[in-house]
Amino acid sequence: MIVEEQHGIHRVLLADAAARAAGVMAGLSANAALALLPTLKLEERNPVREQQVLERLASWLERFSSFVSIADRNLLLLEIAGSLNLFGGLQSLRQTIVRDLGMLGFSAAVAIAPTPLAATWLARSGRRICIRATENLGPALRRLPLTCLHWPSGQRELLTGMGITAIGDCLRLPREGFARRFGAERLLDLDRALGHLPDPRDSWRAPERFCADYEMTEEQSDRELLLNICRELLLSHEQFLLARQLGTQSLCFSFFHLKSTATELRLGAALADRSASRWFELLKIRFEALRLPEPVIAVRLRSGLSQPLLAETARLSFSHKAEKQKHRYSIAQLAERLVARIGDHSVHALTMVAEHRPEYAWCARNPLSDWTASTLTMLTDTRRPLWMLPEPALLPADSGYPLHRGCRLTLLDGPERLETGWWDEGNVSRDYYTALSGAGMRLWVFRNRQRTPDWYLHGIFG
Amino acid sequence: MSLEKLLENPRIWRGSSRPGAQSGLASGYPKLDRCLPGGGWPLGALTEILIGQHGIGELRLLMPALAQLSAEETPAYTGEYTEPGWIAWVAPPFQPYAPALQQHGIDLSRMLIVRPKDDSELLWSAEQALSSGTCAAVLLWPDKLDDQASRRLQLAAEKGHSWAIAFRPLAARQQASAAALRLELQFTGQGTCVHVLKSRGGRPTVLNDLL
Repeated sequence: MIVEEQHGIHRVLLADAAARAAGVMAGLSANAALALLPTLKLEERNPVREQQVLERLASWLERFSSFVSIADRNLLLLEIAGSLNLFGGLQSLRQTIVRDLGMLGFSAAVAIAPTPLAATWLARSGRRICIRATENLGPALRRLPLTCLHWPSGQRELLTGMGITAIGDCLRLPREGFARRFGAERLLDLDRALGHLPDPRDSWRAPERFCADYEMTEEQSDRELLLNICRELLLSHEQFLLARQLGTQSLCFSFFHLKSTATELRLGAALADRSASRWFELLKIRFEALRLPEPVIAVRLRSGLSQPLLAETARLSFSHKAEKQKHRYSIAQLAERLVARIGDHSVHALTMVAEHRPEYAWCARNPLSDWTASTLTMLTDTRRPLWMLPEPALLPADSGYPLHRGCRLTLLDGPERLETGWWDEGNVSRDYYTALSGAGMRLWVFRNRQRTPDWYLHGIFG
Repeated sequence: MSLEKLLENPRIWRGSSRPGAQSGLASGYPKLDRCLPGGGWPLGALTEILIGQHGIGELRLLMPALAQLSAEETPAYTGEYTEPGWIAWVAPPFQPYAPALQQHGIDLSRMLIVRPKDDSELLWSAEQALSSGTCAAVLLWPDKLDDQASRRLQLAAEKGHSWAIAFRPLAARQQASAAALRLELQFTGQGTCVHVLKSRGGRPTVLNDLL
C-alpha cells in the first residue's frame, strides 16, 4: 500500500485488493488503515522515482510521436496528428500505445482531443473519448466536472457555491465578470482548451548518450588490436557527438569475456570534449595498467551525460608561433593525464586559508574541478618556511636547548608567539623561532607553552 | 703572427664565447648571473642542483626566478598572448608551504604538486609536464637519475621550452649527466657557497657566501 503525507497526516493513496476488502480506501489516514488491518505494509510515495519512470516513458513514447511533452507529474502529452498514417489510423495507434504500455506494466487513461488542455481534462475525467474535430470539442467539454481542471481549491469551492459544477456552466457566465472574479488566467485556460487560443508546449528530449558495441568473431587478447578497436569506437563516438554539437565528460569502456564478468574502464576529463584523439590518449595511459583476466570477445563504449559544446573559433595568426602552440596542451589536459596515470590524490594545486595556525593556513585543491584563484593574502609579515613537515617533529633537548641531528641549534630570530584555536580541538600556544643547524639548515622550530615545554621542528626554510 | 690575429681564426674555440644569443632568466643573484652564460638560468634545459641535505638554501636560490616565471603574462619577444607558466613540483620531499611561497611573490594559483609512487612514474610525470608546454618550470626530486633519464628530461625541456630543475644528492657528482647546468650547494660555516660544476658555454666557478 502506498501512503503520502498531506498536511502532516499520512494518507492512503493506493491499496491492493486484500486491503480494499478489509475496508481500506484511498484518502484514509494511515493510522485508521492500520487499525482496520494491523498487518498492512506501508510504503512512502517516492516522487523522484515517479519522475524517473515518467521520463523513461516519455523517451519510450518518442517512437509514436516526434513531439512528447511531460505536462504534469502523471501526465504525458503526445502530438499524434503526424503519426496517424504511419500507424494505420487513430484506433490502431491508440490500441498499440495502450497495449504496449500494458506490456511494460503500466495502465493509462487515454483521451484524444485537438487541444492539449482538452485532452488533459478528458483524461482526468476518465472518459475514453476521442474527439477529432474542433467543433465537437465544445459539447464534449461542457459536461466535464470542474474537478478535472485542477484549479485552486478555493476557487472551485466558490464556483460550487454558486451552483457551477461543470465547464459548460462556466462558459455560460459573462466573460468580463468571470475574468474579474477568478482571474484572466482561468478564462485563458478555457479558451486554450476550446482551441480559441494557441497552447504551445515544451517538447521533451531524451538526454543523448552514445552506446556502441564491437563484437569479434573470436576471442582476442592482443592489446594492440583491442586499442585499435577502442579507437574506432571513439571515432564513431566523435561523429555521434559532432552531429549533435555535444561533448561529454566521462566515458566507460566494457571489455566482455566469455567466462568472467566484463572488465570496465572509466575515463574522466576536466572539460567536456568529444575529440577522439584526446580521449584515445587518456585511454592509452589507463589501458597500460588495465589487467584483463581473459581474452576479450566484445568491446562496448558508453558515454556519460552529454552537454552542449560549442566549437572554438581558431585564432587568425600570421606568426610561426601559432604552429608551435598547436602542440601545447592546456594545463587541464596535463592534469588529466597525470591523474589518469598516477591517481586522483597524487595531483593537487594549492590555495591559502585565512588561519593563524601554520598547519591550517593552506589546503590542497583539486586541479581538475575548481580554477578559481584565491585572492587571500598572508595574515602575517614574518617569514614562513618554504618546506613544511606533515606533522611537527619532536626535537631532543639538551639543558633547555633543542638539538637537531646531535647538534645544538642556534636561535636566530624570535620568538613569534601563536596562541589561538581555543574554539576547536586544535588549541595551540607556541613560541616560534628561526634556528640554524650545524649543517647549515635554517629550521623553523617552536617550543610548546602548554603542558610540557618540548621543542618541535615544524618547517625548513629551504 | 700577433695574438690578436691568431684569435680571429674561426678554428679557435674559446671557452667564454657564447653560443648564439640565448638569454637566460635572471636569477635575482647578480653574482651568479655573471657566471652563467646568457646572464641567468638556462631555460628550455635541465639544471641539476646537488645538495647534501634538504633545506640549505636550494629553494631560496630559485625563488626570485620562479616568482618571475609565475607572474609573467606575455613574453617580451612576441606580442602574442601566451598562457602564463605553471610550476610543477614532482615528488617534493616535504610539503611546499603555500603562505611562504606567496611571501616570495609566487602566484599560488599556478602551482601543481604531483606525488608519484615510484621513480618510473616520477620520470614519466616530469617528462609529461616538461613537454606539455604549459609548465614554465618543473622541479623534481628523483631518488636515482641515470645518464639516459637526464637526457630524456633535457630533451623534454627543449621540446616544451620549459625549465627542468632536478635536485640530487652530492654522490651524483661522479655521474655523467646531460644537464646544461650543474650546481653544487655546500654549507661552509658562514654561509652557503655555490659551485658551478658544469655550465654549457661557461666555466666552472666557485661562488662563496652567495646565500
